[in-house]
Amino acid sequence: MRTLSLPVAGPNRPRTVVVGALFATCAAFVAFASLITVYVQQRQQTRAAGGEWLASGSIEMGPAGMSMATLLLSAVTVQWAVQASRAEDRPHGFIALGLTLMFGVAVINQFWFIYQNTGFAIDAGVPQLMFYVVTGSFIAMLLGAMAAVTVFTLRSLLGPFGRELAQGVQAAAIFWHMMIVCYFLVWYIVFITK
Amino acid sequence: MTLTDTPVDAPSEADADIGTATAGDAADSGQVVAGGPPPRPASGIIAPLVTADSAVVGRLFVGTSLLSALGAAVIGVLLAMSRANVASPTDLFGGLNAEFRLWTLHRSSLLLLVVMPLMLGVAMILVPSQIGARGLAFPRAALASFWTWLTGAVIMVASAFAGGGWGAIDGVTANESDAIALTLLGTAVVIAALLLGALIVATTVISSRSGSSSLLDLAPFSWSALIASAVWLLTLPVAIANIVIIYADLRGRPAVAFGQPESPDIWLQLDWLVEQPAVYAMAVPVLGIAIGAAGAALGVESSRHGVLAAVIGLFGLLAVGGWSQDYFTGSQDYRDGVVYVVFGLAAVVPVIATLGALAELAMRGSRTPSALLSTRLLGAVAALVLLGAATAAGALRVIEPLDLLETTATWAVFQGVTAAGIVAAVTALWQHGPRMIGASLDERAGMAAIALIAAGGLLAILADLVDGLIADTPIVFAVDRRIYDTGDTTLAVVSLLGSALLALGVAVAVLAVASAAAASARSAALSSQAAESATS
Repeated sequence: MRTLSLPVAGPNRPRTVVVGALFATCAAFVAFASLITVYVQQRQQTRAAGGEWLASGSIEMGPAGMSMATLLLSAVTVQWAVQASRAEDRPHGFIALGLTLMFGVAVINQFWFIYQNTGFAIDAGVPQLMFYVVTGSFIAMLLGAMAAVTVFTLRSLLGPFGRELAQGVQAAAIFWHMMIVCYFLVWYIVFITK
Repeated sequence: MTLTDTPVDAPSEADADIGTATAGDAADSGQVVAGGPPPRPASGIIAPLVTADSAVVGRLFVGTSLLSALGAAVIGVLLAMSRANVASPTDLFGGLNAEFRLWTLHRSSLLLLVVMPLMLGVAMILVPSQIGARGLAFPRAALASFWTWLTGAVIMVASAFAGGGWGAIDGVTANESDAIALTLLGTAVVIAALLLGALIVATTVISSRSGSSSLLDLAPFSWSALIASAVWLLTLPVAIANIVIIYADLRGRPAVAFGQPESPDIWLQLDWLVEQPAVYAMAVPVLGIAIGAAGAALGVESSRHGVLAAVIGLFGLLAVGGWSQDYFTGSQDYRDGVVYVVFGLAAVVPVIATLGALAELAMRGSRTPSALLSTRLLGAVAALVLLGAATAAGALRVIEPLDLLETTATWAVFQGVTAAGIVAAVTALWQHGPRMIGASLDERAGMAAIALIAAGGLLAILADLVDGLIADTPIVFAVDRRIYDTGDTTLAVVSLLGSALLALGVAVAVLAVASAAAASARSAALSSQAAESATS
């Protein structure tokens, strides 16, 4: 390690936006993993004390499973958007962006149904509170990912094409994929194993 | 180029301001440098709102954090007065709840409003020049991180003074419950802003280094800033998750478990941030600053670059602490586990190793009075001694037979780490004065500030550690409705003396920086006037 000045710098290293997105994605994943961990700990303690954690049959499995399938499809379309941006292909880029956002909206719609269907009151107990905390945080993350994909893809597709802008779409896609991994955790831990 | 074959050029006094020449020269000559397009200069009162200059953003962080340090130090003195029974909590603060509120504010603000932003500000100023970049990777985002942090800080402090804070130990009113929700919101905003800043620093180091250099070529401070940023990115999101749970419970009235405003539970869910190992996260850059400052003072570089990098990395690893929360684990407390004990004991090792590196520098370097009696060397030694004392207290704390986990020994660690962080930041300010505030700082004021803060920090560590050692039973806020272990008057007076010295040291540093900055501004204004006269 040096304590003196480094020589005059060369040109930018590539992928600055992607590196930043990786750090942001890691941080967001850590936050979400913490929520899931508390959920699991609380469920374990409730059951160990002989209590019930979300009554059997209180949550329908269909919409949650459909959300998982929808998000898996969106993983393909968001990569399509990345590819279109790299290839400077506007028509395909717009179609991919539109499909990705549509899948995102579909998942929010399914969660709206889940909330109506379960009818949990947030102050009914720790299980209900944690259910809303985990799923609500996921929806917030999904909204953030949708905003990021929209902004970066539109910047890439509406302006002059360039490497930096295509990397922006790639960065947003990284966050999107992490969001899908988070939903997989929600789906398995909150909906499948309840 | 590896670490060991890096050419060692003995730094002179003129080289103390590391890296000023190259990046600045490159910028002046219009050459292409890393870190994106050249920042557009901004002037006037709107400059802090629109600047893309990483140094300006760093100065905003450093200046505001120093003022926060002054405020936190004053609160520390008031709390120590209450502890020493100079005045009752009711006389001083208006009641037991208010004392608890200020006590938690003192802890939280030292972490989130003083040491972390100080380190972030220093990193934003120094890292670009040390890695050969023109500026930070995302300059606008850096500015956004400062204003977001300041907004969150104002919300956090104002709501705490308005009856909020992080819970209570003597019941709350409905208004106070709302204020507590606001404090939580402010805390989350502050943490999010610090995360954004850490992300920017880490991305800058990874992506904006000059083309030929590897990570192992980094200056000690840049390396420590990268490690610290990574640790913060792994630790602070856990606190945000905690706050989301508490906030959702608190606002989904009535609170069912985590957000009960009338109990100290809210604080107990977040206090892992100010306890070991997570508390060490804010001190990772201390190691880099100390080595850099000592090297510059003694005119020599460490011959064991790789070992130093590994030592700083190890300290960062031992500071990852989101896993060590005890609130949610029920009967299975992680702090009774072997991993927690190993983390607590091992944290001493990197600090001792860095002290060893400092000794090696002292043996090989210049031994002139100006080198040995410089602010830089004194600051480096003081910061490491404080950090060493803190980690030693931490090591004692995890030894089970001593039964120190729930005692004021916890705060001995915290006080030592925060004092080390403040001393390190003051050292960096004095070492890089021209780059950081545009003027050199008075050496005597720097030495006085460092000596006072270090003495105050050591006394605070001593008082809290001994208080914990002689305590019969651990503290349980909700049951005992008290904050300190024993009513020992001698220890309380020692603690008060320590707090007073620390506050005095921070005041000296703030005054010296303000005076130098004002002189620099006057000088710039005169130069500008002279230039205008010459033109007309």
